[in-house]
Amino acid sequence: MTMTTLAEQIPDAHALTAGLQAHDYLAEPGLSTALFCAVRLPQPLLLEGEAGVGKTQAAKSLAEMLNTPLIRLQCFEGIDASEALYEWNYPRQLLGIRVAEARGAALAEESLFSREYLIERPLLQALEHPGPNPAVLLIDEIDRADEEFEAFLFEMLAESSVTVPEIGTLRAKVPPVVILTSNRTRDLHDALKRRCLYHWIDYPSLEHAIRIVRLRVPQASPELAAQIAGAVQRLRSLDVQKPPGVAEAIDWVHAASLLGIEALNANAVEQTLGSVLKYREDQDLARAQGLDWVSGD
Amino acid sequence: MTDEQSTDEQFTDAPVSIDPAARLAEIVATFGHFLHRAGVPVTPERSTRFGAAVVVASPEQLDDLYWLGRVTLLTSHDQVEVYDRVFQQVFKGIVDFADFRGDSNAPPPVSSSPSNEKLPTDKDRTGETRSGPKGTSATPGDQASDDDQDEEDPSLLAAMSDEERLAGKEFAACTEEELALIRRLVEQLPLVPPMRIGRRSRRHRSGSRLDFRGTLRRSHRTMGDPVDLIKRKRKQRPRRIVLIADVSGSMEPYARVYLHLMRGAVQALHAEAFVFATRLTRLTRPLKVTQPDLAYRKATTAAPDWSGGTRIGRALHEFIDDFGRRGMARGAVIVIVSDGWEIEDPASVGEAMARLSRLAHRVVWVNPRKASNSYEPLVGGMAAALPYVDTFVPGHSMHALQEVMEAIRSGEKRPPGGRPPGNRVTA
Repeated sequence: MTMTTLAEQIPDAHALTAGLQAHDYLAEPGLSTALFCAVRLPQPLLLEGEAGVGKTQAAKSLAEMLNTPLIRLQCFEGIDASEALYEWNYPRQLLGIRVAEARGAALAEESLFSREYLIERPLLQALEHPGPNPAVLLIDEIDRADEEFEAFLFEMLAESSVTVPEIGTLRAKVPPVVILTSNRTRDLHDALKRRCLYHWIDYPSLEHAIRIVRLRVPQASPELAAQIAGAVQRLRSLDVQKPPGVAEAIDWVHAASLLGIEALNANAVEQTLGSVLKYREDQDLARAQGLDWVSGD
Repeated sequence: MTDEQSTDEQFTDAPVSIDPAARLAEIVATFGHFLHRAGVPVTPERSTRFGAAVVVASPEQLDDLYWLGRVTLLTSHDQVEVYDRVFQQVFKGIVDFADFRGDSNAPPPVSSSPSNEKLPTDKDRTGETRSGPKGTSATPGDQASDDDQDEEDPSLLAAMSDEERLAGKEFAACTEEELALIRRLVEQLPLVPPMRIGRRSRRHRSGSRLDFRGTLRRSHRTMGDPVDLIKRKRKQRPRRIVLIADVSGSMEPYARVYLHLMRGAVQALHAEAFVFATRLTRLTRPLKVTQPDLAYRKATTAAPDWSGGTRIGRALHEFIDDFGRRGMARGAVIVIVSDGWEIEDPASVGEAMARLSRLAHRVVWVNPRKASNSYEPLVGGMAAALPYVDTFVPGHSMHALQEVMEAIRSGEKRPPGGRPPGNRVTA
């Protein structure tokens, strides 16, 4: 029943593109196809791309479009099951024992390991989502987690189920849409890649960037949006340490329109350069190239 | 390439089916097969997924089909070029795929050398027949392995006396046979990784953190009273090691030895390995699966003008931009093997090293030229790099290699006060 509704909501990748656009996200065809397959096959999707090209935002917008919660698991080194999946609420269990004692009531051990003492972490939350549409589970920067954690994810990705020893196997009522992102600091395990769809998000073309900026910052004038999208592209052509992405372009337009800047010129660039270039060396490089050049005058 | 021609022929000769669904399985499997042959590892599982995606999406246009295949069949960005080429062959000439990739001038012709392609085993390799993937004894902390090998490997016993003879000999002065032996010995050096405190913990009597779970479990023994407090302590974990070796002409005798050291480190310590002459090549993957000599050849052919000189600064910047900044260099021990001979502006070496020293835990520079008594780091690149180097060692002989290993393992850091302000910091 859920499947039919999903199929009705998203008959093809073009419908997904339109749906995302209604939630202020412009997806190029490759990304919509990838998301479409992730939702409809369903299959986990591994997204890669430079920082600031919209990997995380894609998951957020998909969740908005499906009108389901976005459940985000930020990976970090040493992350383990108690932070990703579940943990028993030990202080509360201890308290439960004390209260039972004080009342002189008997306390069965099973009741200590019942659901009310279970703290649900993101992966379990995603599995427990009741539907009708699947939750969107964003596993962000999977390359930061250890390899052991990747192996731990396999069961959940393959079966949409997890095993809690004290309770048993919990199976997802509605399998979540799983989106993983990676910054490629290390090679992911082949077994993990095997289970996933794959898409690389490129920097957008100038026209696409302008459309994105205008969609995200509607209060900015069209001229400003176009100028800044162009300036970001010029800055990216420099040998900068952190090439600015779409996220920086949006920040920049926000900053400029907050300052009441109508059109970009050298002076305006000088005021707002910090919202787009975050290294002093990069700013020096842009100044050496000329702020007029950056602003496009 | 004959492959390509047969591809075309088979597809033009094949009868055109009117009902695409009837031939779906066949088309999907054949397309997967061609991709596989071109070097993209497409498994039947992925082909099935592609088929399922086509059924779900029922693409009407070729570009829809292109994207369905691309997201279901590939596992990496560098497979896209091969994919484009094969897609164009199979569904040929109907549309130009460079259009949707966003780069209008991208030509499809590409040699079929994707990253995970297995290289054939080399028959004429010198004296390394025994060293499979486990050929290194580089188990962390495994100091006893030398004794074991003495007993079970007579050829190695003979090698030991050679080792003594070769211990102090400069690599550059060794004959080809001696170098072959050295390379084999290098692979068997016991590598000990530098350690750091990890995020995970284990039970420990003198730990500083209370283990709620353990304490609660234990309290069952004492009628629910938490009498015994269980504590936990942070685990020690190996630090990431990144090895970057100069394979330009002047470094040749050393570079080949160091590739073997890299191989040991990659396989036993999960180190990352890079080489550079004029540009940077990542060797981690090749070193995991293949022989160092092959990897060496791969690296030198990747930089065809390798005798022309070294662009250390550019290579290091490339490393930082593509790998280091994203996290590979953060908190890592970076080992650079190079004579510091920079043919471009030495200032760029200094800049790169300044960035690297801010990212990394420690930077070790191995320069075989340092062995000479009269050596002073006057070469432009070396002088610019030195202020940012924590440990500077020669590593020119087997004996000196021990020093290199010690430098990698030890936790010594250059005192922060001793760090001279970089030219940019003072500006």
